[in-house]
Amino acid sequence: MKRIVDVNIPLGPIHPCFKEPIRLKCEAKGERVTGAEVELGYMKKGIERIMKGRPWQEVMFLAERVCGICSVIHNMVFIEAMEQISDIAVPPRAAYLRVIANELDRMQSHMLANFSYCYTIEHETLGMYLLDLREQVMDELERLTGARVTCAYIIPGGVRCDIPKKEAGDLQVSLDRMEADLRRYAGMFEDGPMIALRSRGVGILTQEAAQRAHVVGPTARGSGIAYDCRQNHPTYQKLGFVPITRPDCDNFARVMIRFDEVFQSIDLIRKCLHELPKGVIRGGGVCKAGEIRYSGEAPRGELTYFIKSDEFGRIVEIQIQTPSIMNIEACCHEMIIGSDSIADVTATFISADPCVACTER
Amino acid sequence: MASSVFWYLREFLRAAWIKKFLFAKTAPLTTPSHFRGFPEPTGKTCQHALFCMMACPAPGAIEVVHAGDGWIPRIHKGHCIRCGLCVEACPNGVLKSGRIQETMQREGTSLLFSFRIAIDKELCTGCGNCCTACPVNKQADAQMGAGGHSSNDDVIMRVQEGDIVVIHEDKCTGCKTCEVSCPNGAIRIARILEGYQQPVQEGSQ
Repeated sequence: MKRIVDVNIPLGPIHPCFKEPIRLKCEAKGERVTGAEVELGYMKKGIERIMKGRPWQEVMFLAERVCGICSVIHNMVFIEAMEQISDIAVPPRAAYLRVIANELDRMQSHMLANFSYCYTIEHETLGMYLLDLREQVMDELERLTGARVTCAYIIPGGVRCDIPKKEAGDLQVSLDRMEADLRRYAGMFEDGPMIALRSRGVGILTQEAAQRAHVVGPTARGSGIAYDCRQNHPTYQKLGFVPITRPDCDNFARVMIRFDEVFQSIDLIRKCLHELPKGVIRGGGVCKAGEIRYSGEAPRGELTYFIKSDEFGRIVEIQIQTPSIMNIEACCHEMIIGSDSIADVTATFISADPCVACTER
Repeated sequence: MASSVFWYLREFLRAAWIKKFLFAKTAPLTTPSHFRGFPEPTGKTCQHALFCMMACPAPGAIEVVHAGDGWIPRIHKGHCIRCGLCVEACPNGVLKSGRIQETMQREGTSLLFSFRIAIDKELCTGCGNCCTACPVNKQADAQMGAGGHSSNDDVIMRVQEGDIVVIHEDKCTGCKTCEVSCPNGAIRIARILEGYQQPVQEGSQ
């Protein structure tokens, strides 16, 4: 008689498919995964503790270093929270420039996420194509801000530097080129039969399960939940932002929604460059005392900063809630369960785009 | 399956792909002019305002040291995070990094410092160490004794009836000497940084 043995399969903390250390303990019945548990805590930095007692000019750089992939949004949410506390008005030109920097950052983050998914399902060609494109996006980010990753672009009351007319034109040209390339790559992913075998119908996260697990970001939008924090942001409202959703609820939908959002980001940047108002980029303003809870849409979902500052704008209390923690939880408690093979576990896990550096801070 | 083979053939028989495959060369590694590198001296004389040290978010990355007759800012590259705040904060344009310097001149942007003195009345014992240590006080009233008493009204702060009284907060240069000399940690200097830009001229954008 055939005997089915229950096995515990640990994946990680060191695993070729994981960019950051995390451990997944899978319980399998043969190849079928029946349960999974996640183990965090391999890269705690204690960055919130370091932030305490410091003024914005120091915390801004620490906030960027919470996560290397989505550094601009950390900078933006922290600074906008400080602006809300201190009633600092942002000049319209600076608000648009912030959106440009943020969307470029979202583009490179989504491309990296899709690269790692392609790499995990062993489609390295497409992965490398995407990484190549990501380099071009980062070059654009460098041209705008002066640095590729830790841009330090957004300060209270405005941004660090303006975009000259010639460079705005160059950015338009590269956006056109990148869009043409990306359309090809997205087509490769959408039509690839091997990719479909590994992605369609794998890692199902139904809309009810997604709501139950409080999933955010592209992972939620891939399950048909139309929620995006950019809807509540005044500049994005001016640009007429509408979130994209897909109803498929599987790995394929989660990766495709990221491709869709990169196209959306390209459109938003074009719109920004077209409508860029004239005027100053820094309005001045001093940080004051207050307490706030402020959210923004990071590439992985809703990012929330809780900040309490003293009368000179120094941080007294700070708490960061990053999107990945919900996605990682949902991933191991909902998506992975019922996978037909262990090979799908890593692919499903990567499709939720987990960022462990953000999660553990 | 057949469509996949066809797809790959179509992909790799594109003229652009073949050209790239045969003639692709790695571009030479050059630092672009807009890259924000380590701060370098421009050659202008350092006026010892120390704003670069105050704005620096990385501990121990920049210090202003004696060199010959004057002062020069020295960058410790292992600590520097290349944020460029020192370049923006310097009122005399002593440092440059990437194109921050020229952008600032073109757009009329700068970072303004202001300093606030906060004294915790609970912790302060009125010893007057801060008043004696303060270099601005020393210039205003060279006669100030160990108790921090002074009859001069130009001093930043002095001890009156056993309490510290701050008279001219605007004269503070933010050096934090008082913080170091305080035995109780009762005095704290806040360095407040503010982004500023002059009104933009018509037609420059």
